[in-house]
Amino acid sequence: MDCDAIRDDMLDVLYGEGGEAALRRVEAHQAGCADCRRELASLRRVRGDLAHWRLPEGLGARPAAAAPPRRLPVGLAAAAAVVLAATAALAFSGAELRYDAAGFSLRLGRASESTALADLERRHREEMAALRAELASVRAPDDQQTLRTVAAMIHESEARQDEARLASLRVLQQRAETQRQYDLARMSAGLSYLDGKAGLQAARTTELVGHLLQASQQK
Amino acid sequence: MTPTDEELVVAFQSGDIPAFDQLVRRWDRKIQGVIYRIVGNHDEARDLSQEAFLKAYRALGTFKQEARFSSWLYQIAINATRDRLRRRRRRNDLSLDDVEERAETSLRDAGPSALDLIESNDLSRVVAAAMAALPEEQREVVILKEYQGLTFPEIAETLDVPLSTVKTRLYRGLGQLRVRLERQGIHGGAAVPVPSA
Repeated sequence: MDCDAIRDDMLDVLYGEGGEAALRRVEAHQAGCADCRRELASLRRVRGDLAHWRLPEGLGARPAAAAPPRRLPVGLAAAAAVVLAATAALAFSGAELRYDAAGFSLRLGRASESTALADLERRHREEMAALRAELASVRAPDDQQTLRTVAAMIHESEARQDEARLASLRVLQQRAETQRQYDLARMSAGLSYLDGKAGLQAARTTELVGHLLQASQQK
Repeated sequence: MTPTDEELVVAFQSGDIPAFDQLVRRWDRKIQGVIYRIVGNHDEARDLSQEAFLKAYRALGTFKQEARFSSWLYQIAINATRDRLRRRRRRNDLSLDDVEERAETSLRDAGPSALDLIESNDLSRVVAAAMAALPEEQREVVILKEYQGLTFPEIAETLDVPLSTVKTRLYRGLGQLRVRLERQGIHGGAAVPVPSA
C-alpha cells in the first residue's frame, strides 16, 4: 500500500476512530516506511500544540469540560434541610422511616413516644407534600418566560439588523458624496482645460493677424 | 434521567416550548465556542450564536430527525458564520477607505511579535493566529474535529460533504498549521497520546 492510500487510516488512528483494523494497516505500512512514521509523530505534535488554544473567559468550553455546579432553589434547599432534620430526629428516637411501593411509611421504635412520633410523622408528611409541590412548581413549564426570551432575542436581532442597515446606508451616502465631489472636480478641470485651449487659440490667432498686418505693411 | 436531544426535539414539536430552553442551555457554550474559533471575536461569537438559536427556533418545528440535532445545529451556526464573513469581505471589497482604516487598526493593535508571544509562553495566541490564516474550509474542519470532538461522519453530516473531503481538508489543514507553527519556532509541543483503538 502506498503512502497516499494509508493517509485516511492514519487520520483515523490519529484521532482514535479507525478501530483495530485501521491500526493494524497503519502499523504494517509504517514498519517499512520511515516517512509515514515521522508524519504520524509530527501530526501528533501538531495536535499537542493546537491544544494550547484556549477560549476566553466566559465563552463556550471544550465539550469535555465539566458542567458548572447547579444550585438548588432556596425554598427547595430549605425543604430538603427540614426533611433531613426530621429524618435525623426520627433515627435518634429509634423510629424507622421506609420507602417502598406503597410510598413512605414510618415504624415507631418506642411505644411510649408514639404520640410525639405520630405528630412528627404528620409533620413529616406535610413537609413531604410541600416538597413535592415545590418540585412540581420547579418542573412546571414556563411558556410565557420562554416566549418573552425569544421575543427579546428577536427584538435584539432586529435592532442589530437596523443598525447594520443604517451603517451601510451611511457608507453608501459617503461614497456617493465623494463620487459627486470627484465628478465636479473633473468637470471643473475639463472646463479649465477648454478655457486654456480657447485662450491659446485666441493668442495664436492674434499673433497670426499681427504677422499678416506686418507683412501687408512691408509690401 | 436526562432527556436526549432527540427527545427534547420531539417534546418541542409536540408543543412543549420550554424543551427548547433545555436545548439552548445544553448547546449554547459549544456553539459559541465553535463560532468564536472561526471568527475570532467574542462579541461577534455571542451575537452569531444568538442568531443561530433564533434560526433553529424558527425551523425546529419542521426539523425531520434524519440528521442528528447537533449536526443540524452546528450547520445552522456555521452557515450564519459563513454569511457574516462573506458580508464582511464584501464590505471590505467595496470601500478602499475601510480597508486602509482596518490595516491601520490592525497594525496599531498587532501587539507583541510572535517571538514575544513565545517568550511569554502565550502559545494560545500563536495557535489562534495560525488557525486564522487557514483557508475557511480547512479551518472549519480542524475546529470541529480538534476542539468540538466531532467524529468524521458527524463532520461530513454537518458540512454536507463526503467523508473523503473531510479527511482531505483536515490533512491539508494540519499540514499548513505544522508549517506555520514551525515557522514560529514552536512546533514540538507535548505529543498527544497514542490511541489504543
